[in-house]
Amino acid sequence: MCAEIRLRGIVIIVGNYGSGKTEVAINLAVHQHGQGCRVRLADLDLVNPYFRTREARHVLAGRGIDIILPPQGFLQADLPILDPQVAGLIRQPGDLAILDAGGDAVGATVLAALGNAFQAALPSPQMLQVVNPFRPNTDTVERCLAMRRAIESAAQLKVTGWIGNAHMMDETTPVHIQQGYALMQTLAEVSGLPLVCMTADESLANRTKALRMSCPVLTIRRQLMPPWRKPAALSSIKKE
Amino acid sequence: MPKVLMKGNEAIAEAAIRAGCLNYFAYPITPQSEVAEYLSWRMPEVNGVFLQGESEVAVSYMIFGAAGAGVRVFTTSSSPGISLMSEAISYLCGAQLPAVFVNIMRGGPGLGGILPSQADYLQATKGIGHGDCRLLVMAPASVQEAAEMVMTAFPLAEKYRNPVMILGDGLIGQMMEPVEFPDQLKSEASNKDGWATNGMDHRGSTTRNLVKSLFLDAEQLNDNNLILRAKYERMKKEDVRWECWNTEETYDALIVSYGTMSRVCKTAISMLKEEGIEVGLVRPQTLFPFPEQAVRQAAQKEGCRVVLSVEMSMGQMVEDVERCVQGALPVKWYGKCGGDVPTPEEIIDLVKTTLSSL
Repeated sequence: MCAEIRLRGIVIIVGNYGSGKTEVAINLAVHQHGQGCRVRLADLDLVNPYFRTREARHVLAGRGIDIILPPQGFLQADLPILDPQVAGLIRQPGDLAILDAGGDAVGATVLAALGNAFQAALPSPQMLQVVNPFRPNTDTVERCLAMRRAIESAAQLKVTGWIGNAHMMDETTPVHIQQGYALMQTLAEVSGLPLVCMTADESLANRTKALRMSCPVLTIRRQLMPPWRKPAALSSIKKE
Repeated sequence: MPKVLMKGNEAIAEAAIRAGCLNYFAYPITPQSEVAEYLSWRMPEVNGVFLQGESEVAVSYMIFGAAGAGVRVFTTSSSPGISLMSEAISYLCGAQLPAVFVNIMRGGPGLGGILPSQADYLQATKGIGHGDCRLLVMAPASVQEAAEMVMTAFPLAEKYRNPVMILGDGLIGQMMEPVEFPDQLKSEASNKDGWATNGMDHRGSTTRNLVKSLFLDAEQLNDNNLILRAKYERMKKEDVRWECWNTEETYDALIVSYGTMSRVCKTAISMLKEEGIEVGLVRPQTLFPFPEQAVRQAAQKEGCRVVLSVEMSMGQMVEDVERCVQGALPVKWYGKCGGDVPTPEEIIDLVKTTLSSL
């Protein structure tokens, strides 16, 4: 078994559009909660209209994960609403506060507005960039680094680590994860930043073990499904 | 090009480029703004043009101008934006200009909401603009199909010298699926010298081409409408598309559904099959022309007792379904249009309740 994922303090999830930030944020929250850590999750996606953390709010709240959302009347809007609770969360993150930002540099811009709160935060916030190498804009090391620079510039914060989320939805095979892992390892080496974890859908978890990846692997139980599919069950998760 | 994971909106944008369309004018609106976002960096890479107009009205006449000049051109919008373009769409039809319009529908009427909807069915198929104008309307049910339909739409628009619309609900634009594009571009545009305002020198001609929808003479206007009517009739013969699903054996009920809604229905039909209840599905891939014969024949199948039109609207396609079934069987409508897509469980309940009430 490889090393465990252990996150504390403020963890900001960034990445390009469709890299899987929200699915990673939700599953990280559930995973860390399963390790006995008190988790709060804030939906900061001000740019994406569908498939946002707020869609999983009931299942997360049911598991005891605090979730910070825009006011009820604006949940289905595409308005740039930043709830004042978010600044409070940054000042008092508790065990772990996960901030799920929107996609690309434009989605990370909201983080700059919270700059004062971040500066006062101790320990300093970690900002993890999610990469799916099968998305058009992050299919090479160079493009991932360009995305990193754009996000850092918009967010006024530095990326501190990588999360490799290599998948092709239902068509994902271990080969995709292996190819993604290779790119992520190069990215970690070139950037000097750690590869915090790779991800694998629960249906591939066993076959992924054979890849012998040296970083932790976060099991993904998909929550943001199209309406003809059901979200994966979270109830059966034991402490991992 | 290997398979990539794309949002429907991104795939639509890339597909247009693959189809050789290098002219895109648009005005952003949720839930289709990613098309403009994608093309804002992608068009310059291929020496194409993306110009954001000051409104949808401006955009729609940029389309008229570019189409009249004989180049491939397209735009994307969502419901309220399409309403603003409807005047120019009628002008394009009247002037017989090819162009592609993508409508990634959101809930209405009015500003409505930003969630998925199929409530522009009647607008797209029967009331897109004033006068006797029609669009060829294609309805994708997956990201791959959206890309393929966009690539097909350009040659079809040129074949008929008429605008073509891709009608997708918000989820088609927003969801991500693996998608594959052909390596080779299919950019051979048809010869437009006979009508386009593409320059007399270019054509080696001494006659001006005139692009217009104004015909003040009664006979000439009637003649223009007869030409358009003949094209719409030809569409019905040559370019109607549909998918039949679970219709090989007998079934108790037939569902007619398209786009995202049809995928929910397929899940429901598979679940019903496990309970021993058979339901067939006809999924129109073109909404105009509507697959009249396919729906009629599927409804006439022995054992079929009812036809259900399942759509994310308050009952629009059901009018076409009723027209096809011609009273031979009861036709029922089921739908929602606030943005919550009906679930497979709702469709299962619908089928069971309907069958037991007959």
